[in-house]
Amino acid sequence: MAYYLRLITQFMKISVQEEAAYRMNFWISLLHSALNLGTGILGIVILFNQVETVRGWTFPGTLALLGVYLIAQALRGLFIGPSLDALAGMDGEVWTGKLDYTLLRPADIQFMASFRRWRPFALFDLLLGMGVLAIALAQLHQELSLVRLVGFSLAMTSGIAILYAILLAFTAFVFWSPGVLFTWIFDGVFQMARYPVGMYPGWLRLVLTWVVPVGIITTIPAEILTGTASPAALLGGLAMAVVFVCVSSLLFRYAAKRYASASS
Amino acid sequence: MNHRGGIALIKATWTSWLQYRSFFFLLAFGWMIPPLIYLLVWSTAAGEASIGGLSRGEFVAYYLVLILVNQITYSQTNWTVGDMIREGSMNRLLLRPIHPLYDALASEVAGKVVYLVFDIPVVAVLALVLHPEFHPTMIEIAAFLPALVFAWMLRFFWGYWLALLAFWASRASALLAIQDALIFLLAGQVAPVALLPGAIKTAAVVLPFRYMVGFPVEILTGQLGAAEISSGFTVQLAWLGVSLALTALIWRSGLRQHTAVGG
Repeated sequence: MAYYLRLITQFMKISVQEEAAYRMNFWISLLHSALNLGTGILGIVILFNQVETVRGWTFPGTLALLGVYLIAQALRGLFIGPSLDALAGMDGEVWTGKLDYTLLRPADIQFMASFRRWRPFALFDLLLGMGVLAIALAQLHQELSLVRLVGFSLAMTSGIAILYAILLAFTAFVFWSPGVLFTWIFDGVFQMARYPVGMYPGWLRLVLTWVVPVGIITTIPAEILTGTASPAALLGGLAMAVVFVCVSSLLFRYAAKRYASASS
Repeated sequence: MNHRGGIALIKATWTSWLQYRSFFFLLAFGWMIPPLIYLLVWSTAAGEASIGGLSRGEFVAYYLVLILVNQITYSQTNWTVGDMIREGSMNRLLLRPIHPLYDALASEVAGKVVYLVFDIPVVAVLALVLHPEFHPTMIEIAAFLPALVFAWMLRFFWGYWLALLAFWASRASALLAIQDALIFLLAGQVAPVALLPGAIKTAAVVLPFRYMVGFPVEILTGQLGAAEISSGFTVQLAWLGVSLALTALIWRSGLRQHTAVGG
């Protein structure tokens, strides 16, 4: 365990050094974060400028959900995304055969695929997400009891675990067809997590809860903060996270066995 | 100018794009999601009542038309023009006896066909599931078609002059990201322009972005009166004139100071 923690610290250091070499990228990233934040908030402001509530969701509740979404997106951008995306696509490691170097190293393949690349700038996105969440909490006037905080952290953790598991499973498909960017499909669907699942029509709510459970990732943590979550939903989310992580890990390991290098 | 060569180029690009359709279907899917989210959120919010004079079915019709118009007017070529100038592959195009604009137009036409092959069936299925209230009159259709063509031209040339700034600044594509965000807010994606709050609505009516997407959609879904349609066309054509002039100006002075890099 200590070995793997030491590896993660090293990976982080290398990533910071790499990023520091391209300083202009910092300003471009800053611009993209600001646009993402601005359009997200204005979207909610414009909606609640016209209506008081939508299916029981008020402005501060929906804003809290946006905060949760931004935090999930930031964590994805911090390491899950950059690490897993390096495998896919036409210049990805599976297509070019660079995965050889990863496989030769004395560390677990899933660990290497998930933690190797970091994008330090995402920490700024994380702060923005937390800021939005804090503003929403101040407007919600809900008491922040210890039980609620524990429930929120549990829901958030299982949400991130589900997000990771889905991305890992989608990445596993790369071993069958290395050129396709499978995670792009997920990116499209994940945008739907900007709004509570309750705002979508019934059939889509079922899909977003049970088939591609992106709704669970943001809706359950936000519901805990607005005080409308049921303990059953929290427990269900936790159970789902455990099942998803186990299944996707098995799938990824099974898929990785198909890798046959690309050397000529 | 060599028009026959240009047309041949358009045909060749189109067939080569069709080979990679699964990749482009993936892109089209990604672009469809944001308007789809706001379609669902607004139609849920409207419920049985109506918001700002629009019923649930009218929101569905508005956004389904918007998904198609957004795809038809979206100029993804603008993103590659800047890259080509920066990396030097523009030089190859400059040597051809055809204006490089044809190259951009070729990928525009090829892209539109491939994306619509994906979009039209999806929108048709959504229309079956979501029951839009859509009764366009002949006059509305007659006004919609020129508005759509101008919208595409405006969005294309507005993005093209922004992309041409790559002659001077290597990160000009950041401006295209800002343009996309403004289109999201002001062109009727986040909400129909009529529902935007005061100052944002004024900005939407005055600035060019609404006339790239929202304006033709509003015409076809019957949200605009005759006076609003004619004043809309005036603003749209004025901005189109501005963007054409800027494109010509920037192209000429940019080319003069362009020094070839690589090949």
